[in-house]
This record gives sequence, structure tokens and C-alpha cells, in this order.
Amino acid sequence: MNDFPWLTIVVVFPIAAGSFIFLFPHRGNKVIRWYSICICLIDLLLTTYAFCYHFQLDDPLIQLTENSKWINFFDFYWRLGIDGLSIGPILLTGFITTLATLAAQPVTREYQLFYFLMLAMYSGQIGPFSSRDILLFFIMWELELIPVYLLLSMWGGKKRLYSATKFILYTGGASIFLLMGILGIGLYGSNEPTLNFETLINQSYPVALEIILYTAFLIAFAVKSPIIPLHTWLPDTHGEAHYSTCMLLAGILLKMGAYGLVRINMEFFSHAHSIFCPWLMILGSIQIIYAASTSFGQRNLKKRIAYSSVSHMGFIIIGINSISDTGLNGAILQIISHGFIGAALFFLAGTSYDRLRLLYLDEMGGMAIPMPKIFTIFTILSMASLALPGMSGFVAELIVFFGIITSQKYLFMMKILITFVTAIGIILTPIYLLSILRQMFYGYKFFNTPNSSFFDSGPRELFISISILIPIIGIGIYPDFIFSFSVDKVEAILSNF
Amino acid sequence: MEYTHQSSWIIPFIPLPVPILIGVGLLLFPTATKNLRRMWAFPSIFLLTIVMIFSIDLSIQQIENSSIYQYVWSWTINNDLSLEFGYLIDSLTSIMSILITTVGILVLIYSDSYMSHDQGYLRFFTYMSFFNTSMLGLVTSSNLIQVYIFWELVGMCSYLLIGFWFTRPIAANACQKAFVTNRVGDFGLLLGILGFYWITGSLEFRDLFQIFKNLIYKNEVNILFVTLCALLLFCGSVAKSAQFPLHVWLPDAMEGPTPISALIHAATMVAAGIFLVARLLPLFIVIPSIMSGIALIGIITVVLGATLAIAQKDIKKNLAYSTMSQLGYMMLALGMGSYRAALFHLITHAYSKALLFLGSGSIIHSMEAIVGYSPDKSQNMVLMGGLTKHAPITKMSFLIGTLSLCGIPPFACFWSKDEILNDSWLYSPIFAIIACSTAGLTAFYMFRIYLLVFEGYLNVHFQNFNGKKNSSFYSISLWGKEEKKKLKKKIHLLGFLTMNNNERTSFFRERTYSHRINRNVKSIRRLFLDSTHFGTKNLPFFYPHESDNTMLFSMLVLVLFTFFVGSIGISFSQEGIDLDILSKLLIPSIDLLHQNSKNSVDWYEFFINATFSVSIAFFGLFIASFFYKPVFSSLQNLNLFNLFQKNVPKKIISDKIINILYDWSYNRGYIDAFFEVSLIASVRKLAKFNYFFDRQLIDGIPNGVGISNFFIGEAIKYVGGGRISSYIFFFVLIFLLICYYIYLFP
Repeated sequence: MNDFPWLTIVVVFPIAAGSFIFLFPHRGNKVIRWYSICICLIDLLLTTYAFCYHFQLDDPLIQLTENSKWINFFDFYWRLGIDGLSIGPILLTGFITTLATLAAQPVTREYQLFYFLMLAMYSGQIGPFSSRDILLFFIMWELELIPVYLLLSMWGGKKRLYSATKFILYTGGASIFLLMGILGIGLYGSNEPTLNFETLINQSYPVALEIILYTAFLIAFAVKSPIIPLHTWLPDTHGEAHYSTCMLLAGILLKMGAYGLVRINMEFFSHAHSIFCPWLMILGSIQIIYAASTSFGQRNLKKRIAYSSVSHMGFIIIGINSISDTGLNGAILQIISHGFIGAALFFLAGTSYDRLRLLYLDEMGGMAIPMPKIFTIFTILSMASLALPGMSGFVAELIVFFGIITSQKYLFMMKILITFVTAIGIILTPIYLLSILRQMFYGYKFFNTPNSSFFDSGPRELFISISILIPIIGIGIYPDFIFSFSVDKVEAILSNF
Repeated sequence: MEYTHQSSWIIPFIPLPVPILIGVGLLLFPTATKNLRRMWAFPSIFLLTIVMIFSIDLSIQQIENSSIYQYVWSWTINNDLSLEFGYLIDSLTSIMSILITTVGILVLIYSDSYMSHDQGYLRFFTYMSFFNTSMLGLVTSSNLIQVYIFWELVGMCSYLLIGFWFTRPIAANACQKAFVTNRVGDFGLLLGILGFYWITGSLEFRDLFQIFKNLIYKNEVNILFVTLCALLLFCGSVAKSAQFPLHVWLPDAMEGPTPISALIHAATMVAAGIFLVARLLPLFIVIPSIMSGIALIGIITVVLGATLAIAQKDIKKNLAYSTMSQLGYMMLALGMGSYRAALFHLITHAYSKALLFLGSGSIIHSMEAIVGYSPDKSQNMVLMGGLTKHAPITKMSFLIGTLSLCGIPPFACFWSKDEILNDSWLYSPIFAIIACSTAGLTAFYMFRIYLLVFEGYLNVHFQNFNGKKNSSFYSISLWGKEEKKKLKKKIHLLGFLTMNNNERTSFFRERTYSHRINRNVKSIRRLFLDSTHFGTKNLPFFYPHESDNTMLFSMLVLVLFTFFVGSIGISFSQEGIDLDILSKLLIPSIDLLHQNSKNSVDWYEFFINATFSVSIAFFGLFIASFFYKPVFSSLQNLNLFNLFQKNVPKKIISDKIINILYDWSYNRGYIDAFFEVSLIASVRKLAKFNYFFDRQLIDGIPNGVGISNFFIGEAIKYVGGGRISSYIFFFVLIFLLICYYIYLFP
């Protein structure tokens, strides 16, 4: 049973089934809507089933591996496999993508293409998380860019073309570095290209080369999980995109960068990582402050939330670079937790934009009375995002903090400084999140125009927000659930340092 | 016996089902849940009663055994870090939990009536029950992380409840201010926790104290770092207990419904800071500089709160400043090391202040019907007056609360405040003098409230004495459309009763100074008489009324508490045996000041001290009645004014001083303004700068690359456009250039 290709099915199924959408007759989007949601759900269930029954949590090695030769002459394999590090993001991907597809139901323009692209994204996102061959990783990484670009450029706000172009320029530019890095490590040392993760982990490089390769990968991943100063594509993109795209972007795409940092930069280049990590740690703490303080200069609601996710990604960077067990676990928890929270916040921002048709915060106000449910959920999620205890964000940030102070690598003063600067972030976060709440919902406003008939969120939207809320609170109360995935793997990674 | 201890982890979770159920109900089945309405109030009160019985049982056992029970179970095990959750039941916990539950039950009963017409009735009960849960969790927690978790949850409840009437823009600002200010404290608390974890490697209270003491004795830690960490920890309680630099949120927090102010912002949550310091006292006591810092912050807050309370118009803000001042007393007592006195004052003050707030809620409730729902009007003391007639029971209980807070003997606060004042004499004479004079100030401002509200005649009816009928009244009701109709009916009544702000302040000034201006008295009196006449004739129904029985019930129970709570701390030590309950509860705790003179508390000394403090209180009381006695009520006052008017030069100076004091107090000591100018403005500037930086500089690079690419592309397109003539032109041009260079530089 174990050689049944679970992962291949999980990766290929959405895009394969999604391509049938074009064969459907043009008779309203209802059929296609439910078809694509069913595909998402089936894939999610498949993933869960496979992970439940064919994955041992206490094993830090790669499991569910699949090896089949794809291109013969340069040793290129279709090689998939998961371990404790990737199981969380894959489940997150399944969950968020399903909900985003459900959230995209109001889309009526070019709906066939839209749903196909959503499903293609599904495959493209699970791909990098599960591939065990570095060239396959690259291909999957690029595969996911195309749907995102199309989704950005066809559906969204007025400046969508500008932001889509910016996105593709940034990520395309980063991909060059990624490709260079991959070629560098693939071709180094032996006559035949080595692309397998397992053999690459044990490879050692001269220090200068290692630093160069590390930098190349770092730039690639720094664009994706925005590390300042490479973050400016994110606010533009999130500000313009349709909210289901935003959910995917904020929920999963940003996490791919962080995942890559752990998977490649930490595992392959442990020496270079320990050289770079103090600087990255400083950069991370600056990023938290910088993005948070930029956030409350924004007038646009979505951009403000986008900057807040840039700020939260700072915790992941700090966690990764603290080189301690606790810190890395915290970073992984933050990946999952921010995946939920960011996606949910963008979803709510999008739904309230659908009702109000206002982008700027200072034009809004007094929305709490017409739509109390959205108000309630928005409040809960803002609390989750500002790390209120009992929700997942708090546990993640707290554990990252513990990671900083327990890490043995850094000097006393350095730790104090980083902790202090990072902790300023917890003062700044409520300022912008609560101002969003205040400006959107509090106060009173007469809506004189007769056509502005509001309705509160319906069962579909309520379902989406509650199903995101449940894991947020669940992880907040019982974080061991996520830790049980990653603890062993994290230990294995850190044993190199 | 043992069983209750083992199952006492359940204490915080007993009230939890109610908020969960109502919350889910409101989200999923709003109409059905709202129809049940009152049905939900009963289970929350019932569950809280269970907790109360539970905690009384626990504290009785504490008295008998005086031992600390603690069961810890681990929750998250990582290899490096283990987050353990547990509970710690000791005397402090049992005192706090009794306090929370008793005040909580009374406030819930009260708010059933107070909020009965509010649309957010259920939401209110959800928040309240959740608050009770997290507050109980806070007092039973056994390690610092648990404290932090519940600390934040309590802060969130406070945020939600301050912003309960979210249609009011002031409330929206106030709740954000409260949360952010508290977050500044939490920032310190978190850093302090991390620092102590770093030093000791433990988060659990008793291990922490033990390890820390050992480290200090062996001199193994950097004292500077330890002091910094302790200071940061203390920062958390500074914010929560509204101590000096971070007190700004508390007066604004009065935008919330009054029961909330009674429960959260007077009795329980603000006492959480005191609780934390008391809990961590074994930690702080090892570092003397921190102890004196705590005392210093305490004394500053005492004075600041009292002076700011002098000239507030808003009854609730006035009470808030008084709360702040009293919390300062507790902090002072903790800083002096007299643990017992601080806790004693915590208890007595909680009951008295809850009583006062409930009383003020009852007043506001009755005034609201007349002046409208704006807090600017219904809480304005200037518009009140003469409520004795209309609300006698409220008046009685409010008076008792006032007397208690002033420190008049039979009531609760007298005993505790007296104890703090005594201890302060032992600690440092300067602090003692300040503390004693502030006790007089307390009596002054409390009596000022009382006199303004209950004496004289109802001032609402005199508002239009300068003849203007205006309508600054804003017609937005609390919940928007639904109540608009109801208000419209009132508009014609309200329109001529309201006046805009400037006039009101001028009126206020006039009223406060009127006793000195003899000429004015007559005219005002005439006016008053006219207007009362007018008022009674035309609108006989137009008087505030006494609140209904539910509200009165909880106030009366609190009156009982105010009478008798003091007795738990009175020592009947005739035969050399301490019989008071509080000492029995707190035997194992710390006492810095009475180490030598443990048993020498004799009645004589006590009597001397008591006489002194009571006389100070009476002095303040007298001054207040002298200033704020209704101008037209007695001839005797007029004589006094005449007496004063004889020495004119002195009067000018005293006028100036009083003016300065009023300005200081009215503008909240300029601290809010200072924060506004310095902090908020600079943060805004930083945000703007960052935004600019982000847009122009960081984003400018890709945009610049894009634009330059565009131009290069255009140029190349133009050049490579396929026109032979342009090719030839360029050829010729380049040829000429080359020739030129060759000729120029041969």
C-alpha cells in the first residue's frame, strides 16, 4: 500500500481535473463553481487521509516518497516526499485554497478561467512543498507564478495591471537567482548533476561559494516571503487583487518563501546560515517595526492589512534565524498561524469592500450597525492578529520570543536588543489594527443613498470565516498539534549547527 | 476537603459556557438568541454564584490551614521549553476571587436592570461573563505566562466593554486608547517575564522566587539587569492599575456603561496590577531600589489623581481619578512593604468604589431620561443637584460610599486607609505628609461630588437662564435608527434645556466661584427661583426618579459590605492574640515595617493616629462644604463670604491659585496633551515618513527600472523602426562624430 503514489495524485489531481472545466458547456457558473469546490475538497480529504494513515509523526525522515525517472540524460527525477516540515504547509494549502475557492463564488467574469487558475494554483502550491528534487522544486515554484499573474491581471482593482506587472517582475527577477543557485549547487563537485535533496544536504562547499549560493537563494526567498527592502510588490498586489486571490497570496504564497528559507538555506548551507543569521535577525526585527509603522500611514484598507502581514513575517525570519529549537518551532507555527489569520483578514476586507465599495479607511465608518456579524468576526480576527492569548498568533510570537532568549548563538546584548526591538512591534500592532476597526466600524454614519442597501454576511461567508476561526483558536489553545508535526524534524535540522 | 482543592482548577472555567453559548448563538441564530434575552442573564449570575460559594469555601480552608495548594500539569512540552499550566490557591487568590465574584454578581444583577433597554443586552452579558472568567483565571494562575495570558484577555474585555456603545466616536477613541496604553504595559510585562525566565529558567512562581533568592544571595546575577527586568514587570501593573505615566486611559475608559466602570475600572481589573505586584512581592522585595520605585510611583499617583479629581465635571471621570488616587495608595503600601495594608485597602476600596459607581450609574440612569443620552449631559455634575428629594435611597448609599472613601470611622475604607497612613509614618515622613494631605484632598473631592449632585436644586432646569434656546443636542441615538423616533418626541423638551458647551462651562465657573461674588448670588438666586417656578409649573413629571428595585438591591448589598468589610481587618487583640481574619489569612506573607513591633499594636496609638487622619478627612470635608454648599440654601454661608471679602488682596492670590489648580485639573494635568504632542504626533510623523520612504525610495527603484526600460525600449523601437533614412542619418552622425574626435585628438 505504501507505494501507492499519494503525493503525485494530490499534486496532479487539481490541475488535471481543473482542465476539464473548459469542456463544460457555457450554462451559468453554478455547475463549475460546485465542480471546482468538490475537486478542492476531494483533494483536501485525500491529503488528510494520506497523512493520517501513511505518515508517522515520530519519524523525522522523508516519508511517502516517490521516485521515478523523468528525464534520462541529466538525472532528473519526479521525486516527491514529505516530512514534518512540509506537512503543515500542505494541509494549510489545502484548507485555504478550498475556502478561497468557496469565497470566490461571486466572481462572474471569465469564471471558467478563474476556477481553472484557482485549481492550477492548488497544484502549484502543493508542488514546492512536497518536491524532493531541486529542479522539480524550481519548476513547481515557477508553475505557481503563472496562475497568480493571470489572477492578478484579470480580476481586481483599477491598477491591477500595474501591480501584476510589478509582481511578475519581482518574482521573475527572483527566480533568476533561484535558478542560478540551483544550477550552482546542482553542478558543483561532480560531473553529473546532483539534484536530489538527500545527497545535496550532505554536500559541503568552500565558504565563499557557500556564501554566494546562500545569497542567491536568500534573494529568491526574500522576495517571496517579503523581507525588506524587497517587499513593495506585496502591498500593491494585495491592494488590487480580488480577495480570494489575496487569501491565497497572504495565506500560502508568502509561506513558500519562509519554507524555502528553512528547507534550502538552513538545510543546505548551515555554515553560511550561521554567518548570515545575526544580520537577518536584525533585519527581521527592523522589518517588524518598519512595516508596522508604515501600516498606519496607509489609507487603503487592504494595503494596511498587507503591511501587517509583512510585519508578521518578520517573526518568521527572526524565528528561523534564532537557530534554536524553540525559535524554529515558533517560526513554523507562525507560518501556519499567519496563513490562517492573514487569509481570513483579507477575506473579511474583501467582503466588506463588496458591500461598501469604498477603499479608503477615512471614508468608511459606522458599519457596525448594518453588519454586526462581519464586525464581530473582524474584531476577533484583529485580536488574533495582534497576538491575543488564546489564539494562534500569540503562541507563535511567544515561542519566537522564547527562541530568541534561549538561543545559544548570540551575545547577551544582542539578545536584549533584538528582544526589545521586536517587542516594540507588539505595541505597534494594536495601533493599526484597532484603528482599522475604529475607522471602519465604530462611530455613526448616515447612509442616505437609497441604493446602499447593506446586508450582513450570509451563511457562505459566515461558514468561511468560522471555519478559519476554529483552527486559529484551536491552535491557540492546543499548539502541540502543530508542534507534533515539526518537533523531530526541527531537531534534525538543528543538529547540523 | 481535599476534593475541593483538587477541583479548584475549574474556578475560572465555570462561568465560561455562558459567553461561548451566547456568542455562538448571536453569531449563528441572532434573532432566536435575542428573543431569549433575559434567560441568559440568569445562568451567568447562577454560575458566578457557584464560583463564589466555591471560593468562600476555599478561603475558609485557607484560614484554618493557612497553606498553599498547588497542582501543576504540563501543557506543551518542547525539548527546550515547557509551558506548564496550573493553579495556585493561596490567601491572595481566595481574597481576590471572593472579591471578584461578589462584586461581579452584584454588578450583573444591577446591569440586568441598567442595560435592560439596551440593544446590546446580550452582548453585554457575554463580555461580562468572559471578563469574569479571565479575571478568575488571572488570580488563580500559577506561573507568569498564565498571568500574561489572562492579563491580555482581561485587557481585551476591557477594550470591548469600553467600546460597548460603538456608535459614539468618543467611546471608539477611548477603547483604542485603553488598549494601546495597556499594551505598552504588556510590552513591559512580556519583556520582564522573558528576562526572569532568562535569569532563573523558570516561570512558575514558587520556583522563581526560590531560585531568584538563591541567585541574589550568591551574588550571581547582574544587578542592573535584574533591576531592569523587575522594572519592566512592574511596568505591566503600572498600566493596568493606572499608575502615573500610564494612567491616561482610565478616565477615558468611563465611556463604557456604568456597571462596567464599577466592576472593571474600579473594583477588579485595575486591582489586577496591585494583585500582580502583591504576587511578585517576594521577587521585588529582594531589590530595594524597585521597592522604593514602587512607592514613589504610588505617591505620585496618589497626589496626581487627587488633584486631577478636583475640577472634573463628569461624575464618572471624577470617580475614575479618585480610583486612580486610591490605587496609588495601594501601590504606596506595597512599595513600603506593608502587604497586609495594601490588600486590606484593595478589598475595602473595591466595595466602596463599586458602591459609588453603581450609585453614579443610578444617578445617570435617572438623569438620562431628562437630559438625553449623551454622556456629556447625563454625567455632567453641573446639570445635577438636588437629587436628594428624587432619589433618596441612591443618595443614602452614595453618601455612605463617599464617607467610606473619605475615611470616616465606621466605614470600611477608614480602617484600611488608616493602616496605610500609619505605615507611611514608619516608612518616611515626607511620604506620610503627602499621603495624609492627600487624604484630606480625597475628602474634599468626594464631598464635592456629593454636594454637587445631591444638594441644592436640580440645575437642569436653570440651564436656559441666559435665554437662549438652542439645539446643540445631537440626535444620533445610541443604536441608530431604531430609537430615533423615541428621541424625536423628546426633542422639543430637550431643545430648550440644553445649551452648548461654552455656556455650560461658564455657568460652571460661575457656580463654583459664585460664593465669593456677593452680587451675583442674588441675581442667580432670583433666576433660580424663577426657573424652579417655571419648572414645576409646566413640567411636573420632569424630575429624575429613583431607580428600580433591582438596581437598588445590589447597591444596598454593597452598602452592607461597606459597613462590615472593615471588620475583617480590625484587630481585637486585647489578650495578645490576633483575631482578625485578614491577618490570619495573610500570616505567611511579608511584613517589612512591623518586624520588630509585631505585637505592640495598642489601642492608644491606634486612637491617636485615627484621630489625626479623621480630623484631616473632616477638614477636607469642611472645605468642600464651604466651597460647594449650594449658594442659596443658607444665610450662614453668606456671612462667611462677607467675612472673606474683607481681605481683598489675599483673595486675588488665592483666586489665582485656585484658577491654576482648576486649569491643571480640568486639563487633566496636561499629561494627555503632552502625550498627544510628543508621542502620537511623532508616531504619526514616523508613519508618514516611512510611507514616503517606502513609496518613493524603495518602490522608486523598481518603478525607475520599469520606466527607464520603457524609454530605452521606445528609443530602440524608434531607432530600429526600419526607416532607411534614419539609419543613414545615424550613420552620418556617428561618422561625423568619429571624424571630429580623430581631428580633435590626433
